[in-house]
Amino acid sequence: MSSVSDDQLVKVSTEAATELVQTFYQALCSNRESIASFYAPVPSKILFNGNTVADGAAVQDIFVNQMPHAHYEAQSYDCQVINRAYPTVTESGIKPAAQMTIKDMSILVIVSGHVRYGENRDQPQRGFSETFVLVPNPSAERGKRRRDWLIQSQNFRLVV
Amino acid sequence: MKTMKSRRPGGADRGGIRKRGPTRTDRDGDMDMDTSAARGGGKRGRGNTGRNPTGRSAPSGRTQGRDRNIDAIQKAISNSQDSFSIRSGKNTNADRLELYSVRGWKNSKASTRRDHGVESLISYLERRLNTLKSGSRAKITKSRVEGDALIVSVRPDLAEPMSKINGNVFAGVNITVEPYDPSSTEALDREIGAANGLSPETVDVKSKMTAILARRYFPETKLLDLSKLGTDTDLNAMGMFNKTSTESKFFPALMKVWNMGFPDAKQRREAVESVSLADNQLANINVVTTLAVTIPGLKNLDLSNNNFKDAHSMIGWRWKFRDLEFLDLTGNPFSTDESFKNTMMKWYPKLQTLNNVQVRTPEEVAAQKKTPIPVQPPHFQDDSQIAENFIRTFFAGYDGNRTELLNSYYDETSSFSMNINTTAPKAAQADTASWDPYIKKSRNLLKISHLPARMARTYTGKTKIGELWSTLPPTRHSDMALHPEECLVECHPVPGLPDQTGQSATGVGGLLVMVHGKFEESLGGKMETRSFDRSFIIGPGNGPGGIRVINDILALRAYGGHEAWSPENQAIPQAIPQPIPQAIASPAAVVPPIAPAAIPVVPGAPDPASQRDTGCLAQARPIPKFSRNS
Repeated sequence: MSSVSDDQLVKVSTEAATELVQTFYQALCSNRESIASFYAPVPSKILFNGNTVADGAAVQDIFVNQMPHAHYEAQSYDCQVINRAYPTVTESGIKPAAQMTIKDMSILVIVSGHVRYGENRDQPQRGFSETFVLVPNPSAERGKRRRDWLIQSQNFRLVV
Repeated sequence: MKTMKSRRPGGADRGGIRKRGPTRTDRDGDMDMDTSAARGGGKRGRGNTGRNPTGRSAPSGRTQGRDRNIDAIQKAISNSQDSFSIRSGKNTNADRLELYSVRGWKNSKASTRRDHGVESLISYLERRLNTLKSGSRAKITKSRVEGDALIVSVRPDLAEPMSKINGNVFAGVNITVEPYDPSSTEALDREIGAANGLSPETVDVKSKMTAILARRYFPETKLLDLSKLGTDTDLNAMGMFNKTSTESKFFPALMKVWNMGFPDAKQRREAVESVSLADNQLANINVVTTLAVTIPGLKNLDLSNNNFKDAHSMIGWRWKFRDLEFLDLTGNPFSTDESFKNTMMKWYPKLQTLNNVQVRTPEEVAAQKKTPIPVQPPHFQDDSQIAENFIRTFFAGYDGNRTELLNSYYDETSSFSMNINTTAPKAAQADTASWDPYIKKSRNLLKISHLPARMARTYTGKTKIGELWSTLPPTRHSDMALHPEECLVECHPVPGLPDQTGQSATGVGGLLVMVHGKFEESLGGKMETRSFDRSFIIGPGNGPGGIRVINDILALRAYGGHEAWSPENQAIPQAIPQPIPQAIASPAAVVPPIAPAAIPVVPGAPDPASQRDTGCLAQARPIPKFSRNS
């Protein structure tokens, strides 16, 4: 990867975070069958209120089969680049630096918002804080629906 | 002239204080629209005091509409038409007027009217004045009722005719008219209004109120019995209920005195669980509304045998008393309303007993609090106490010496940014302090959408971070050892971090540390409490313990308490270790499982790693581990 300017790093990382925040919470609310597609194949850690969940498929299973309707709203979020050359493991081994683009960064995202469980609008709004680590999608697949970044780790906590 | 036009005496009045405004009644007590129209046109002196007490320009349409609604509600629920009263606004010419007390009229034939004949009496006085003097038309500029007296204001040139009315017959009775002596009342107003002042009278009022509260407080049952205040001989001896003006100030003053009886908010909160305001003829909560501020955590509230007619008469307590379990409104018209039960259950989610009937079981209340994802102790996966030592040092350093902290753990590639959630849910009684010191640095990407602003609010390298931190207010984070419950720290390994040495193509491993907690901040001389969420990525480096901060991302929000992360299944004693097979208990944490089985979220089966720590860092840790922390 040749030199990348700071403004490109900020632009790409903040757009990736925005994409996550806009699509992920919408999926938790009304498109739960798509939840697994947000996750890296082997996430390093997924936590909900201190409960470890194994992977994206397990998260989707919980939301589809156990969770009542939930309305999430992200009220504030921010992100930072963690590693601008994340060592992605592909089928042919670690991606060489020469093949890397600006989209090979890993990103830390923090979200502050509220969630209301159940259909009843009188249910209280609970405050939550959620931290994600996004890593480049290792799959070679191309297409419109391909996500450029996947969730490597996630920690959701109710905080109010 | 009869008309249905509003009886509302003033423009933007609210509460028990009413202005005598445009309307007048004729001999029969009917409205006199001529005067109303004339004054509506805006004769300045009258207009200022009557229509717009503040003397400011007319409020916006929306505010006016709301005032009108409030006024309509007030009117609908208020029995008292006695409450026309003087309030000396900025632009009144009150000091050029003379005041007279008129007594004896309460026994007149007119007293059976809804307003006890006040309107008729004023008309009578004006007619008599115009008979007794010549020149410009005499008017009663302002009036209010104090006990059995009507206090009226007139121009100085009406002093003589005014005194001539003394002894005249109004509606069948002799009335007395004499110059008003304000000293006693005003002194009392002053005392009650500032019950923590220093004057001897104030001390006297305070000590009397303290005695009354002591008599009505039962510490063993945590009951504050404020029922039947109107028949309290001590209170009546103080003259509390003789005048509308003191009556409306009495309760707030009583609450203030109550507050002063406790050294701190915690003791005050814990002193009372039950309050009775039964048998007080309350038509609405206006005069007692401060109860919700003074004793917000009330569990039992007796409002029986008052005169609450509907939900509007209690609307000010719609979002108060979030812990209320018992509410008695028997003997109030509202209780017979068909919406009564549903409304009260909706207002008070923990309400279990309404009018002595169970409306919810404790289990149902507990079920509301349950989240679909059970709340477990923190996940803290930090085999070498790296994160533990870092967090201990970090917050002490951030509060005490930010420069030193930066020099220890941050380098020229460290990143810091902060975002403010100005609309976050907050704890029931939390105030939201101003965000002024922070908002221009906030990188909330929801609001900061332009690239230059996003870049300007990214702080890379310890020099830039230091410049920013030096502009942020000093803080004091809660002491994790003393108050482990007030914060939550979670941690787990994270791979693929940039390798500063450039030796590892696969990157290096580090830790993701996430902290939720609160801090205090001195802002403009006032201590403010805020909540924060802060996530760090720490990796190998040259700082203490061989680490450095790669990312530091801070979110601030209004104080939200710490109940949200206290585990729901606290009944399960954490001290009893559950036998966990070694293979599952430890090492897998470092290496991601190859073929992870779906682990559903099951209450009572927390992740093995989380067994190691149950609160903040200090909690439930074997003491020997601390020996490494130097």
